[in-house]
Parts: sequence; C-alpha cells; structure tokens
Amino acid sequence: MIRLAIVDSDSGFVRVLTKRLEAMSWDHRVLAAPPPVEELVAIRLNAMVVDPAVLGPHAWEFLERVGAALPAMGLVVCTGRSTVAQRVRGLRLGADDWITKPCHPEEVVARVEAVVRRRKRVSTPADVGPLVAGELEIRADQFQAFVGTQSADLTRREFELLQLLAEGRGQVLQREEIYQRVWGYQMARGDRSVDVFVRKVRSKLKALSPEWSYIHTHFGIGYRFQPETSDDEPAEVIAPAADASGQGSLDAPAASESADGEPGAVQALGTRLASSA
Amino acid sequence: MKLLGRNAPLDSALLGLFEEAASNAERAAGLLREMLAGFPERSELARDVLLCEQEGDRITHDVIQRINSNGIRPGIETGDVHALAGAIDDIVDHAEEAADFLGLYGIEAPMEQAEELAGVLAGAARGVAHALEALRSGDDLAGRLVEIHQLENEGDRVSRDAIAALFTGHIDPMVVIRWKDIFESLEEAIDACETAAHVIEGIDLKRRR
Repeated sequence: MIRLAIVDSDSGFVRVLTKRLEAMSWDHRVLAAPPPVEELVAIRLNAMVVDPAVLGPHAWEFLERVGAALPAMGLVVCTGRSTVAQRVRGLRLGADDWITKPCHPEEVVARVEAVVRRRKRVSTPADVGPLVAGELEIRADQFQAFVGTQSADLTRREFELLQLLAEGRGQVLQREEIYQRVWGYQMARGDRSVDVFVRKVRSKLKALSPEWSYIHTHFGIGYRFQPETSDDEPAEVIAPAADASGQGSLDAPAASESADGEPGAVQALGTRLASSA
Repeated sequence: MKLLGRNAPLDSALLGLFEEAASNAERAAGLLREMLAGFPERSELARDVLLCEQEGDRITHDVIQRINSNGIRPGIETGDVHALAGAIDDIVDHAEEAADFLGLYGIEAPMEQAEELAGVLAGAARGVAHALEALRSGDDLAGRLVEIHQLENEGDRVSRDAIAALFTGHIDPMVVIRWKDIFESLEEAIDACETAAHVIEGIDLKRRR
C-alpha cells in the first residue's frame, strides 16, 4: 500500500483523486498547507503530490528542502499551466515528475506508482548489507535480526524500532522521535508504546545474546543503541554504507571517525564488501 | 414517605451482600490496575476481570431476590437498595468494559493516564467497601465519603487531561478512537463509585433521622 500526501487546495481535483485513492485503499492525507519538513519525515510517506501554487513564493525552496530531506520519497508536482523553465527548475530541484492540470486521476495515480516503483528499485533492502553490532546481525533485507543463524523473531515494528536505534550510532533518541519515525504519527503524551516495544526487543535479544546489552535507557529522555558486554566495553557497530549510487538508507560517517575512540562509532563498509566478508 | 424509624436495623444478610459486591468491585478494579501496569504481558487478567463482572451480576441478582423475599425487613428503602446494587454493579461493568476494550481494540501498550485512572478507581472502589463497613458498624462515614469524592475529582482531572492529550497535534486517529473509549469507561467506573457513596450516605442519613 502506498502512503501518499496531497498538498493541494483545488477541492475538485482533490475530491476526484481521493475517491480514486480510497477505492485503491491507499493510505493518503490531504494537506491544505505544506507541513514542516520534519513532520513529513515522521509520517513516512512513499510519495507526495504537490501543487506549487499552494506553496506561494516559497514553492521552489520547499521542493528543494523536501527533495533533500526525503530522498526516498517520490515527489510529483501537479499544477496548472507552467513554462518550460518552471518545469525544468522544479525537476532539477527535486521533483520526480511534473503533471499539468487538468489531468485524469488515473494518470496521477499511475505516475505516482511509477515514481514509487523507481524509488523502491534503488533502495530495496536487498541491496543493503547487514548491520553488525556485538553478536547481532541486523538484516534489513529480511526485516530480522540474527545471532549466528538464530532469528530473534522480531515483528515488523520491533525490527523497525531496532533498526532505527541501531542506525542512531550511539546517539540518544527521544521517545517522541522514535514514535514518529516508527509509528508514523506524533506520539500522544503518556503513550508508552515505545517503552513496551523496547522491552519486547530487549527480551528477544537477551534470549539470543545474554552476555550483551544493546539498548540503554536514558530516563526521562529515550533510548540509545550501544552493544556492550558485561565488562562495559562498548563495541563497534558496523553498518552498511550507502550503495554505489549514494542512495543507501544509512548516513554513515567515514571509517576514520571510529579512530576517534567515540563509543559506537559507525564504520562504513560497502555492501558488496560486507556480503563477501 | 418515612419508611424507616430512627436507627432502624439494617438487614445483616442484605448488608453482607452489598459488602460482597463492594469487595468484588474492589477486586475487579485492582485486577484492572495490575493489568494496565503490566500491559501487554498481563493482558490475561482481562479474563479474571470478566469473572468479577459475572460474579457482580450474580450478587446483584441475590440482592434483588433478598428484598423480594417475604418476611424480610431490609431496613433500607427499596429504591436505595436498587440504586446501591446498580452503582456497585456499574463499577465492575465499566472496569470490565475497559479491560475488554484493551483486547478488542488490539491495544499494544498502555497510556500513563490510563494507569493513573486505574489507580484512582482502585482507591475509590476500596473507599466504597470501607464505607459499607462503616455503615454496618455505625462509624462516622464522612471521612470515607470525602475520600471517594476527592478521588472522583482526581479521576475527572486525569481523564480530561488524557482526552486533551489525544487531541493535541497529529495523533493517529485510531489511537484517539481507541483510547477515548477506554478513558471514558474508566471515568464512568470512578463516577459509579461516587454514586454508590451518595446512596450509602443517603441510607445512613435516613437511618439516623
């Protein structure tokens, strides 16, 4: 199912398009105004259909910022008449496609599907090597974590939580941020979902790797991923690097950073290198 | 219409049934609190809360049977008997409803406000049980009733805060729907404790008139 946001104030267009999306059971949201880019990151969209007319004088800036902040999200501009220069500028700033109104909703849907398909091709988890931390191997291609050949039997959401924390490279992630990134919504005050899922993941990891602790609590703040043995020696997290095209999901620093002695420094390894090791 | 004389004796068996019902409500509230504190690992406690609800129905039935029996002088107005039995039964019914919603709605994790409300409910249900003990012994009820009233106010405050938290920002609409129902059930259970307290106060006042 595709998760789509429509930023448009053209009620006729929105009504026809959303009717079509509902029939296809797409998860979609209509936004009358562009939300902050940080919020868009949280709602984990596959694609966005946007009319720059809604964005006003900041349209180009918005397209550029969204394109940079959400490289995995498809960005389709759907607007009225435009000049060649405007279309070229929009596409160069980050738009993946440009549709001119009036247009058929079926065409919009097909173009969004095509953009999402292309995005998936370049960032499929199978292209990303495992993330190794302590005894743990976190495999995005299988949505699972392993110790040796034993699976931790994580659910999809448990896996996403573990992956997010592990990609945090030893940084403390706040509960609210974790919830937004994993659940895709703002966390309601008092919601203990993150605590409960961390508890579940810890329990499953403990069963497979009892000598290690991976997720550490920062009271009143959130959680930090750092593989440690009982002698408190922090271990390296060896993460897969971005793929050759630079489209990988992990923003790993250069290997030299681990020489700083920072606990949990991430060492970037090429996917092929990791798989051949 | 004055049915009861000054210090008219209360039917001990009837009072015993009310005490049993209040004890059952206290147990249901305690189980719900335990369930929420350990959720989802302790979700099996919903079954025990359901058994309390069934037990509550049985006791309510026994109360009605008792006042309908020939030759029994309950020492409490029939209307008060029904009101008290109904209020105590409502405590358990709403507690059971909240426990049931947790499973029915596929809740993955508790909310702090729900745990807090369950704690308030457990305290208020205990207060009702203590008030009934005081009614039997003839001790002063005022302290017990004030305590229940304060807990009900606290429940209102927590509940309003909890509902407000659901409507702040971009919360998942499914989370809003699920938790709003659960918060309302918990609040109704606490309200039922206060209703029971009012009826007990009325019974006590009439007896002393």
